[in-house]
Amino acid sequence: MKNTLTILIIALVFTSCEKVVDLNYKSNQSKIIIEGNITNEAGPYFVKITKSISLEEAGPNPVIDDASVSISDNDGNSETLIPQGNGMYSTATLYGVEGRTYTLTVKAENQTYTAQSTMPQVVPFDSIKVEAITVFGDTEYNLIPIYIDPIEKGNNYRFVLSVNNKLVEQQFVQNDDVKNGVENTSFLSINDNDLKLVKGDFVSITMQCIDSTVALYYTALALMADSGPGGGTTPNNPPGNISNGALGLFSAHTVETKTATIP
Amino acid sequence: MTSIKWIRKLLICILAGSFFPLLSHSQNLTVSGTVKQKLSGETLIGATVSVVEKPGVGITTNDYGFYSLSLPKGDYTIRVSYVGYKQELISVKLDSNITVDINLSDESSLQEVVISAKRDNDNLTKATMGTETLNMKMAAKIPVLFGEKDLVRTIQLMPGVKSNGEGTNGFSVRGGATDQNLIILDEAPVYNASHLLGMFSTFNSDAIKDATIIKGNSPAQFGGRLSSVLDVKMKEGNNKDYHVSGGIGLISSRVTVEGPIQKEKSSFIISGRRTYADLFLKLSPDFKDMSLYFYDLNAKANLEINSKNRIFFSGYFGKDDFAVSNLFGSKWGNSTGTLRWNSLLSSKLFSNTSFIYSNYDFNVGFNSDGNETNYNSHIKDLNLKQDFSLYANSKNTIRFGFNVIHHTITPTIAEGVDIESDKKSRKGLENAVYVSNSYKASSKFTLDYGLRFSSYSILGGDTYNIYDSGQFVQSIDLEKGEIGKTYFNLEPRISMNYRLNNTTSLKIGYARNIQNLHLMSNSTGGSPTDQWIGDSYNIKPEIADQVSLGFSKNFNDNSFELNAETYYKSLQHQIDYKDGADINTVPDIESELLFGKGKAYGLEILLKKKKGNFTGWIGYTLSKTERKIDGINNGQWYNAKQDRTHDLSVVGVYNLTSRWTLSGTFIYSTGNAVTFPTGKYVLNGMPIYQYGSRNADRMPATHRLDISATYQKPSKRKFQSSWNFGLYNVYGRENPYSISFKQNAENPQVIDAVQTSLFRWVPSITYNFKF
Repeated sequence: MKNTLTILIIALVFTSCEKVVDLNYKSNQSKIIIEGNITNEAGPYFVKITKSISLEEAGPNPVIDDASVSISDNDGNSETLIPQGNGMYSTATLYGVEGRTYTLTVKAENQTYTAQSTMPQVVPFDSIKVEAITVFGDTEYNLIPIYIDPIEKGNNYRFVLSVNNKLVEQQFVQNDDVKNGVENTSFLSINDNDLKLVKGDFVSITMQCIDSTVALYYTALALMADSGPGGGTTPNNPPGNISNGALGLFSAHTVETKTATIP
Repeated sequence: MTSIKWIRKLLICILAGSFFPLLSHSQNLTVSGTVKQKLSGETLIGATVSVVEKPGVGITTNDYGFYSLSLPKGDYTIRVSYVGYKQELISVKLDSNITVDINLSDESSLQEVVISAKRDNDNLTKATMGTETLNMKMAAKIPVLFGEKDLVRTIQLMPGVKSNGEGTNGFSVRGGATDQNLIILDEAPVYNASHLLGMFSTFNSDAIKDATIIKGNSPAQFGGRLSSVLDVKMKEGNNKDYHVSGGIGLISSRVTVEGPIQKEKSSFIISGRRTYADLFLKLSPDFKDMSLYFYDLNAKANLEINSKNRIFFSGYFGKDDFAVSNLFGSKWGNSTGTLRWNSLLSSKLFSNTSFIYSNYDFNVGFNSDGNETNYNSHIKDLNLKQDFSLYANSKNTIRFGFNVIHHTITPTIAEGVDIESDKKSRKGLENAVYVSNSYKASSKFTLDYGLRFSSYSILGGDTYNIYDSGQFVQSIDLEKGEIGKTYFNLEPRISMNYRLNNTTSLKIGYARNIQNLHLMSNSTGGSPTDQWIGDSYNIKPEIADQVSLGFSKNFNDNSFELNAETYYKSLQHQIDYKDGADINTVPDIESELLFGKGKAYGLEILLKKKKGNFTGWIGYTLSKTERKIDGINNGQWYNAKQDRTHDLSVVGVYNLTSRWTLSGTFIYSTGNAVTFPTGKYVLNGMPIYQYGSRNADRMPATHRLDISATYQKPSKRKFQSSWNFGLYNVYGRENPYSISFKQNAENPQVIDAVQTSLFRWVPSITYNFKF
């Protein structure tokens, strides 16, 4: 909500300018990045282990291929993942089931990292509603994911948006703190000034039902990126759910994808 | 910290025992009265009233222009002076208590209401520290954005006071946060003193008589905020003739009407200002469904009931409104009202009783899928304040009184279709009682000391949750009117002035300040959607202890003034938030709070040239402000975001001819402390940045030159007018507003730092008139 306010005020009342500047960056210790996802679709599921690099370094992030990765659930199942190269490890037999709690254990570089995530019950994703609005003589489009939030409190959702098969690099999170137990009416608030939806654009949204620790991670990222009046919150490494100082996230979530074309 | 505790205990003992030897000699008689400006009848604050036959005996008029002097029976010549006015000498025969009211004539040749600086060498004689009074006449000539004279922007040109940046709300004093400034208009607190995201303040200079900023060492009658008091007083209105004055500018216009209700006894003033950018918008079909405006309305009336009693009523209403048809709308605004009663209980005892109302609220609404959702938050104060000034004898002026404020604070509540919210308003009672004395020990030594005893009570009508290290412990339900918990605090205040010689003085001061209201903010720069919260079971009153040392020297017969002051401030019970806390939607914001401490220290230097055709000042501040909060930055000290090492302001006003005045300001300041990425990685296909220590980086520096020229047209009978031309940011520097990090479009492996700036060259033209 704040970002609409500032974009409109700034764009209208003054012409703000943008330019690329040279800054001195402080470098930091390279940290291990662990990315793990379990969904309610059929496997295999993947864990990716990389290392962070300094801001000025070119080239892809270095990968770790010699880690020992295992995932277990609270139903007695457990599996050691198979390295695929390029930092990827995959499952072969594990099933992602709603309601189960999954535990990830990674042993890499003589350190052990663990994480836990509980897959919520699925909330069906009905469709995408495209709302056309006229702002300053231009037609703009709002994308509203239609789903019915359950009566219980504590539901969290993440949306992954692609426009014309290109991923929009922004975190979209919704929850039932304000409106609970009803059909969603909040649109995805897109920050990118370069992204302008026009007639004929193909939009794809994947809705993930996520647990509260995963939601906190993505909400922290979203608040930092807020370009509203006064700027976002002070940037920091988002509060992830992996132990022992690893960055990254282990998420057990449901997925459902819907598409739409801007009419 | 232990040495500060020791100083406090010692002070409390001294203060308790020091009021005994203040009984005046029973043979002394009193001469008292009010000092006013001859042409308009406006009272003069801080005019010096002294006795020719008794050098060293003298007093300055109080906030209502009142003075009182105790002298033995005899014949005297009273001298009244105020910079910019002709000095008056009055012979009095003191054989009983007498009242002598004095009217001062304006020294300048223009028939204009001029309230200018105080006495020539106040900086050498008064014990007050860290205080700057704004010369409203000079402020009118200083160029600011869009040609609007703005007292808050001008105060930010003083050392120790920093703006938070272009396009942001608020200012920071001696490293304090934006909410640590008590901004009062005729004693009523103004909770958000900015319009349009900080580009203008809510003060219409045409209605303002006096503005003083006290940077932490406030006398005991002030309290409630840690870092500063910005005391703004409205004009009373001309009580002799009717006048209309105003100005028309590119962005906004203003008009003021003032005049007598009963000639020479009562007067009124009404002042209004409004932007009209939106009226132009309505002409275009594309933008006609957008509204963007703000307005201010100040009204004041004062009535003399009899020679000893006077009543004042002041009101302020202001609002910002920004809406895009029915899709999105936001409005915020303050309204304040003060009813005051001045009473002369005796020739030595002056009383002021105030009933104060203040309200601030904001509303943001938006429409999505046919559903409207509104976020609303507000704070309302009802305040009873009683102040007494006892002019005990020629060496002692005692002030004492009490203050009772009832706060109603409503956190951000969402409302709309299908929204259920159980958030409720919270109430708190903030009380204080104080006593202070201004003691002229000798012609060389003046001592101001006082003690304020304050409390904050958590009142019922809501449920309060208690957390321990972020974990919920228990819930307390308070019935309406029930008192849950009360915090008590003692706030000693002391400052001393030692006059080394005729042109030099040294000062030392200590003050403890308590703050019971706290502003919660999601953004680093402050926003109108920030919300206030009072003390609770988890939130303790914030405490600041400040020690300062000052040196003042005047040159060339008080035409140059050099003031240097150094301070060290220690802050307790400072508040910050956990990552990922959205203060507007989280069910209980207290579950997201983190606590710790802070410190700020610095050196401020101010060199002023006050006389001649060329006047102005150079202000420089070297400072640091840090915080240490449990749960942030691994519990290590980090720079507060408002930490800026260097801050320089150069202001010059030159009277070129009797008609033309030129002025310019140059500012330079180090960038804010910020957190830049220290690394990067990819997660789920999206680039994410790694961060290290908090606020260890700096935004690039900001510097800017503004110039303006004023042409005073020859006046025709009663009609006076002038033109003001200004250019903001003469060399068009792109000063940084924010920096964001993006992948380079051609080479995604390279990360670009993209800087956004707001204003380059902004010209302005304003036409001012008066009749």
